[in-house]
Amino acid sequence: MALLEINDLKVEFGTRYGPVTALDGVSLEVEAGETLGVVGESGCGKSITALSVMGLIPSPPGKIAGGSIKLGGEELIGLPDKRLRQLRGSDMAMIFQEPMTSLNPVFTAGDQIAEAIMLHQDVGKAEAFNRAVELLDRVGIPEARRRASDYPHQLSGGMRQRVMIAMAVSCQPKVLIADEPTTALDVTVQAQIFDLLNDIQRDFGTAIIMITHDMGAIAEMADRVAVMYAGKVIEQGVADDILDNPKHPYAQGLIACIPALGKGDAGRPPPLAEIPGVVPPLHLLGEGCAFADRCAHKYDACAKAPVLGGDTAHPVACHASAEARI
Amino acid sequence: MSDSATTTTAEAQSPLREAWIMFRRNKPALVGMAILSLIILATLYGAFIFTGDAYDIVWAPHEPPLVTPEFPLGTDYLGRDLVAGLLTGGAPTLAVGAAAAAITMVIGVAVGALAGFFGGWVDNALMRFTEFFQVLPALLFAMVLVTLFTPSLTMIAIAIGVVSWPQTARLTRAEFMKIKNLEYVTAARAIGAKNGRIMWRVILPNALPPLIVSATLTVGVAILFEAGLSFLGLGDPNTMSWGLMIGSNRADFLEAWWPVTFPGVMIFLTVFAVSLIGDGLNDAFNPKLRER
Repeated sequence: MALLEINDLKVEFGTRYGPVTALDGVSLEVEAGETLGVVGESGCGKSITALSVMGLIPSPPGKIAGGSIKLGGEELIGLPDKRLRQLRGSDMAMIFQEPMTSLNPVFTAGDQIAEAIMLHQDVGKAEAFNRAVELLDRVGIPEARRRASDYPHQLSGGMRQRVMIAMAVSCQPKVLIADEPTTALDVTVQAQIFDLLNDIQRDFGTAIIMITHDMGAIAEMADRVAVMYAGKVIEQGVADDILDNPKHPYAQGLIACIPALGKGDAGRPPPLAEIPGVVPPLHLLGEGCAFADRCAHKYDACAKAPVLGGDTAHPVACHASAEARI
Repeated sequence: MSDSATTTTAEAQSPLREAWIMFRRNKPALVGMAILSLIILATLYGAFIFTGDAYDIVWAPHEPPLVTPEFPLGTDYLGRDLVAGLLTGGAPTLAVGAAAAAITMVIGVAVGALAGFFGGWVDNALMRFTEFFQVLPALLFAMVLVTLFTPSLTMIAIAIGVVSWPQTARLTRAEFMKIKNLEYVTAARAIGAKNGRIMWRVILPNALPPLIVSATLTVGVAILFEAGLSFLGLGDPNTMSWGLMIGSNRADFLEAWWPVTFPGVMIFLTVFAVSLIGDGLNDAFNPKLRER
């Protein structure tokens, strides 16, 4: 049994068009010490998946309509609020996309980490603050003791994300969800944050769910990858396998979108690839494959939604690839 | 506390100290603070220097200011010393203002916070309740309260508080609705914080700047309100206050301007000083304006 098991998760949101299905039968699992990359464009349901695990789906309008999420064998859906609060922060933690806004502006970095520690452990304020300083040191903030009394606006973006990571790992969670942790940071800082997350994973055996739209980040971090599109997992497998041999046209498109640095024809860089169109609005999803309208390989069978299947080690939800037409 | 923790506190600038540094930079706020301090000092200790009794009839009525040296500001319609009146009347006026503002803040912030945070039917119920108080004509309602019960200073403060809180509630609700959707609130939930903690420790401190400003404005409004009630003869007749002085002398304003004008100036100065301080507090508690 995996550490975190998500099974056939369905999440609905009430909208003015009626209820729409934001997640439609998502199944994922993560083992201790493993990194699962979840990729997809904006609006694919990546963040909703993460928030569902944390029990933070805004409700209303959101609602978990079915499925199960098990952490260490304990069913999280329908768990009383009190127990869920105990788990949040101590057994599972989350890092957010925007370090500029995910720290409380009126408290110092050290106070915020100390607060997270005091919520879950029976320690005094001074002790918690000292632990916070140690954590800040651990996540690579120089002069941690002095920085601990800085307010978020006095820290750079990279430092703030380090503070967020320190806060998230303060109680050594079993599962760490990183929701686009480096999207707001520049490339050099991004590499440092990845190194830090890898270190933390090695030291604590943390399972990491890394949500991103950046295939480069996946190549760097993930052991396994799940590709999501319009609320479904459409391809899953070992990271190298997916990066080298993507089967779903959408996954192929995402990988083709990684800009190349080298020179192409006529000494100019090759043109940037793109996937035409956008993720369809969820209330307009029909019966068929949600990607069909953007897909170069669309054919008759695509009028019916494909299911995730085929190779158990590298399943894909695509009629075309299942029939090896591409 | 361990040694290292002690050094941390020594190195760290305490939030209050930092707030004071920011406050100091706002010159008008310092002026406001100076004015208010002077007024408070005068009302607390002035009676020891000008030993006159505010309730005693000491001279002919309507003695103009700067005529008789013993009564530099003149006398009122009964021949009572205005200096003594202003000094004695200050404390009750300020106390009513502060108490009413406190009542306003406590009710307003509690109602607004609950409504804004929980939304849904809680918000609906609380806001209809708030609107009920909002549509009551404030002055009339306060008059009814004061008339029904004894016109004591406590009752006046309560009456003002009860009619003024809806605005604070609305403001607090708006701030809470805005802030509760920000990412750091979700982040606080993600580390396992309870609703109560999120409301009071995460959202409220971030909602404070406009609330502090509104609180100081409420002090001003409450002082004016007290003056208004006293002016209408609904103040506590046995306690000297600036409002009461204006109220009891208003009939003779055309013959003698001074018994009305001086308390009026005092009220103006106080409200003005409090507003300046409110502006300074806004700067002081807004960490985004702070620099290293």
